Amino acid sequence: MTKEMQFKTVVAQYCKVKPEDMGNDMRFREDLGFSSLDFMSFLGELEDTFDVELEEEDALKILTVGEALELLEKL
Amino acid sequence: MQEFYPLTAAQKMHHNWILKYKTQQVSGVSVVASLKSPIDFGLFKKCIQLELERYGCMRVRFTKPDKNGEVKQYIVKKDTRDIPVKDLSGMSMHDADNLMQQWAYETFDGDDIPLCDISMLKLPEGFNGFFIHMDHRLIDSCGLVVMINDLMQLYTHYRFKSAYPEDLADYEKVLANDLKKANNEKRFAKDKKFWDDQLDALGEPLYSDVKGPSVLEEARKRHGNKNLRAADIELEELFVAVKDYYLEPEPTKNLLRFCMNHQLSMTNLLLLGIRTYLSKVNNGQEDITIQNFISRRSTHDEWTSGGSRTIMFPCRTVIPLETDFMSAAYEIQNVQNKIYMHSNYDPALIEEEMRRRYKTPENTTYESCYLTYQPMPVKMENPHLVNIPQHSKWFANGAATKKMYLTVSHTENGGMNFSYHYQTACLEEHDMELLYYYMMRILFKGIAEPDMSIGEIMEQV
Repeated sequence: MTKEMQFKTVVAQYCKVKPEDMGNDMRFREDLGFSSLDFMSFLGELEDTFDVELEEEDALKILTVGEALELLEKL
Repeated sequence: MQEFYPLTAAQKMHHNWILKYKTQQVSGVSVVASLKSPIDFGLFKKCIQLELERYGCMRVRFTKPDKNGEVKQYIVKKDTRDIPVKDLSGMSMHDADNLMQQWAYETFDGDDIPLCDISMLKLPEGFNGFFIHMDHRLIDSCGLVVMINDLMQLYTHYRFKSAYPEDLADYEKVLANDLKKANNEKRFAKDKKFWDDQLDALGEPLYSDVKGPSVLEEARKRHGNKNLRAADIELEELFVAVKDYYLEPEPTKNLLRFCMNHQLSMTNLLLLGIRTYLSKVNNGQEDITIQNFISRRSTHDEWTSGGSRTIMFPCRTVIPLETDFMSAAYEIQNVQNKIYMHSNYDPALIEEEMRRRYKTPENTTYESCYLTYQPMPVKMENPHLVNIPQHSKWFANGAATKKMYLTVSHTENGGMNFSYHYQTACLEEHDMELLYYYMMRILFKGIAEPDMSIGEIMEQV
């Protein structure tokens, strides 16, 4: 499984969109229905799954799936 | 072989309250769900028994405490109990509600026993349904709503051939995953650092009471410490009264619109309303802490596994009076977002750290107010039942561990219900009237003039 698909599989646990149907331009809150709590829990899950540390300030600026993927790629 | 698991942080929270207040009553949660329609009780009983199989959290039991007082949980494989039918149809609905309220006061006493009691009900006015009384260590209100909907889907499947409900997540698997996360050392260290940093930056919190500064002053006299910043907890008289206030759909819409337009969550707006009131009645105190409950249900598995996932964290903000309403709201949102990120932490450890640092006296607290925002109504979301009148109601367990506990929920007609549970040993109905009245005045003044400072709003309302 590619890193992108692995990432989208994590996202899919939090919403009703399947990983294969998930576009990079989809917004977490508006399109995927994440609440603030969902989003912050998801960030924690990302850290555990990919063994990375996210800077809170950077992470809070993320709006779309693509932006989160991009941040993950940089780490 | 039977597996035994430790309690999660959320379960420990309820468990510790039971130990502290010396009664399981503080951990009771009860609800009635009924329909104005005849029910095939034979079939309904089978559905309840099937639900006991599907929803593992209903089969959780606790061991006898070991020599260190530690309790473990385990899930029994089968629960083949009979489900009785109780006939209350000859009463008025008011009397039936009163009787169910009495059932909600009952306790589950003992080790290795079922902690879930279910009866089918024939209610007045043609309503039929069921009453469930459980221990909060097994389930929270979201978990109960999921269970009620699943049960009704089972019933409509067998009765009307509607689709069989989707599988629910396995409680034991989700529990094991939660415990694994809680034991992740890296995550634990990060969470601990967040909470410790807050104390490093802000120092010891300062108590603020719904009734004003006299409560802290009395605690200072009682403890002979004029610098005490925490007030006593009522441990003896736990009786709780409930006062509900209803906000009409139109003003509710205004609050929701404001939240949507400013990307603000309702929880944070409500926290701002409460904290501004506390500040107002405590001579403009700027350092305010409110305990806010969050339900850790984000993934599909977390939503459908049942269990007790609700946990409270202190929302502490220091907001100068000259701060405008909008900035204050964003300040709370910022704090809450960070709390959400660190919400795997056990809040008992935050309290422990404060006691260690500040030598806080036993049985004192920094908070007088607790908030739960419950966006999920107790409504059976089932297309076969959509046109049938429903009667659903939560019953308070009658024993409060908290001085004032506000639950805000949405009503079916688009309004909001503000349910204030208060310890009658400390507060009166009039205190709740004042709190609700000023909370509304503050919130509606704030959303009308978001540039106005908190201090001005406090003066004008």
